[in-house]
Amino acid sequence: MSADLALSIRNLALSFKSWSGTSQVLHGIDLEIKRGERVALVGESGSGKSVTARIILGTLHELKSARISGEVWVAGREMSSLSQSERQALRGTDISMIFQDPTTALNPVYTIRQQFHEVLMRGDPKISLSTAEQRSADILREVSITDTERVLESYPFQLSGGMNQRVMIGMALINEPQLLLADEPGTALDVTVQAQTLRLMRDLVRQHGTSVLFISHNLGVVREFADRIYVIYKGRIVETGPAASIFDDPRHAYTKALLAAIPRLTGGGIPEIQEDSEAFFDPMVTHEDVSA
Amino acid sequence: MKRALTILLSNPLSVVGLTLVTFVVLTALLADFISPYPEHAGAVVDFLNANKPPSAEYWLGTDVVGRDQLSRIFYAYRVSLGLGVVVLAIAVPIGVTVGLVAGYLGGWADYVLMRITDVFLSIPPLVLALAIMGLLEPTLLNGMIAVTAMWWPWYARLVYNITRAQKVEGYVLAAEVIGAGKLHIIFREILPNCMPSIITKMTLDFGFVILIAASLSFLGLGVQAPTPDLGSMVSEGTRYLPDSWWLTVFPGIAILIAVFGFNLIGDVLREVLDPDL
Amino acid sequence: MTAQPILSAHNLTRDFRVGKRTIRAVDDISFDVQKGECLAIVGESGSGKSTVANMILGIHPPTSGTLSFHGEELPVKRTLLHREKIQLVQQNPLSSLNPRRSIAASLRLALDVHKHGTRGERPQMVQKLLEEVGLDPSFANRSPSALSGGQRQRVAIARALACQSEVVVLDEPTSALDVLVQARILRLLDDLRTMHGLTFIFITHDLSVVRNIADRVAVFQYGKLVELADTEALFENPTEEYTRSLISAVPVVSTEEVELRGRLSKTEAADGGVESPGA
Repeated sequence: MSADLALSIRNLALSFKSWSGTSQVLHGIDLEIKRGERVALVGESGSGKSVTARIILGTLHELKSARISGEVWVAGREMSSLSQSERQALRGTDISMIFQDPTTALNPVYTIRQQFHEVLMRGDPKISLSTAEQRSADILREVSITDTERVLESYPFQLSGGMNQRVMIGMALINEPQLLLADEPGTALDVTVQAQTLRLMRDLVRQHGTSVLFISHNLGVVREFADRIYVIYKGRIVETGPAASIFDDPRHAYTKALLAAIPRLTGGGIPEIQEDSEAFFDPMVTHEDVSA
Repeated sequence: MKRALTILLSNPLSVVGLTLVTFVVLTALLADFISPYPEHAGAVVDFLNANKPPSAEYWLGTDVVGRDQLSRIFYAYRVSLGLGVVVLAIAVPIGVTVGLVAGYLGGWADYVLMRITDVFLSIPPLVLALAIMGLLEPTLLNGMIAVTAMWWPWYARLVYNITRAQKVEGYVLAAEVIGAGKLHIIFREILPNCMPSIITKMTLDFGFVILIAASLSFLGLGVQAPTPDLGSMVSEGTRYLPDSWWLTVFPGIAILIAVFGFNLIGDVLREVLDPDL
Repeated sequence: MTAQPILSAHNLTRDFRVGKRTIRAVDDISFDVQKGECLAIVGESGSGKSTVANMILGIHPPTSGTLSFHGEELPVKRTLLHREKIQLVQQNPLSSLNPRRSIAASLRLALDVHKHGTRGERPQMVQKLLEEVGLDPSFANRSPSALSGGQRQRVAIARALACQSEVVVLDEPTSALDVLVQARILRLLDDLRTMHGLTFIFITHDLSVVRNIADRVAVFQYGKLVELADTEALFENPTEEYTRSLISAVPVVSTEEVELRGRLSKTEAADGGVESPGA
């Protein structure tokens, strides 16, 4: 794996074994994220996008029924070659994650301060209380929270959904991770709050130079966030390229159908959608990156 | 059904449970045909063969009046299973109805029904049974009344909790908006969703009812002589320990087989019947 | 607007008791719905849009104010006829169908309760309903768990049709579905509306959907109706700040849409309004 890659996935396949047989979930996917790049993995439910995130986090390796093959390199290490505890040590330090519903992702019985401290201890077990306090307050200011003292004192249920989402973004970035996984962030929030937090997150990862894998079913959300896009359909990557290129000139039948299916804010009626076509299984289309 | 069998047979524990329960049920049903001495189920006295250790003639030995233990155990199973069936056949419908009605209607119905349930639940089961048996005659019928009285509240609680959770599901709202009656919603919509838990609990309880009945008999308050009963057999046998060990050990093992078998199946049934797993 | 509205709300208010406080979820709302139209009710969480839906369906009564159907006041305790005529399609098709009953049983319930057809005819009617929503009649004997999200939502729509309803409250009917499925369900709904002359009250937070299905839009905020206008007018020239910020927050995929949002935030700035959120 070359040094300028934050994440490199090679021929990743996944199947689940159950009493009724095996089901193939990922059919050998390749995916790369350069340092500082924001990449989106877009697909519908059942496409395999969320299990991909769980493999990168290393949580699926623990599942007995999961058969994983291929390579996943994060921060210079191959996930399947690591032990369970080594994988665990990566989470929260080199890899961090932002979830769909911030209110349930934060632990309800600890204050925000305690949770920040816990996260910071994962990065530096000997961190002093005053340093932890200082760094938590700093990152909260970065996510546009001004009354840091009140927020640090609070329990998650005392804060609004949008506020919790910001806290979670702060927590995800505080250890300066090599890779940030964002799984449908903000989907549980109201549109206006979602728009704000996404903008905030975009600006922040840009400043920090964080590499991001943004997992979403919503092409509109992705458009405003990602440099590059992978479109995934039933466990196969069908199209990849720079975001602008995918939106202006979708070439794969599935991507075209997906884009055509989104009702437009400017009107035009309800999109006409044909049945799923065989062409959705056509080979992958790669857009050349003109800027590279 | 096929799926259920596959799961049941793929789990070694449930195979053991299934085997044990089948054994118990078959011996109870076929006691008249497979017992070496069917007449020993009654008041037979044969002092020549009294208190014999296990032998080729009497596989599990004989009791103090010379009756074959194996035959008596088969007939005792019949009594225990009969007791279990009757108790559950009364307790389950009462408890389930109370739980459904209190859970779905809420308000006063909930308050009154569940407080009554709580009162029953707060009395230690054996104490309640002893009290009822003490007030009435210690007969088999009263034993059943006692056991039933302490059993239904557990079903009421179980079903009440499930109903409360199901009540907010979309399908209940849909039925209400369509205009379906309360009886329909309670018994046709919500009850089917309680069934997996009810059946699982019934299976587990079969073992417990047998155990409770045995405990009551052990205390001399259950099934009366000469009807064979596992609890009384253990109880009487203890007086002859440690010399005539077979008098207590074999009925004890018989209780263990029944209770253990039903418990094993109950645990696996939970998995089979719950579609979410 | 000369015709008698099929449904109208007059000064509808609903309070909820939370501990010792009283929260006003819906605050003095009035609107009319014409037969055959699709009125969208949009708003964020806590806007009161779901509470209005629940009052229309008779799930909870209004604290004050009235609802009328064909000019007659709807009673707190709905008759079977009201139940028949005002139906609901819920957001989550996973929970709206009873997991332990067959598709046929779920549809039969509506037919049985309202005595549509004879007993002998009903199985036939169930098959016809399934065909009407684009499902194979063989689905009748399946359990909901054997169906995809989109198929379940079709069954839920068939159930509303089974009642022969006139007004259908659609509570976020496509929010839980994938985009491709959403487009097909929206198309089905729109076709059924034309075919059966149905009136829709479409409750959603998704303005892109609203733009393409609704005739008129009511924007709710904190229990109040802040703007009610024809769809075209509302999107091209919203009069309220809040409406503008809602439209500007929608994630979009095409350049025309970005331009529309840009136009709206510019008018906002020119009016000396609040800064765009998060800026």
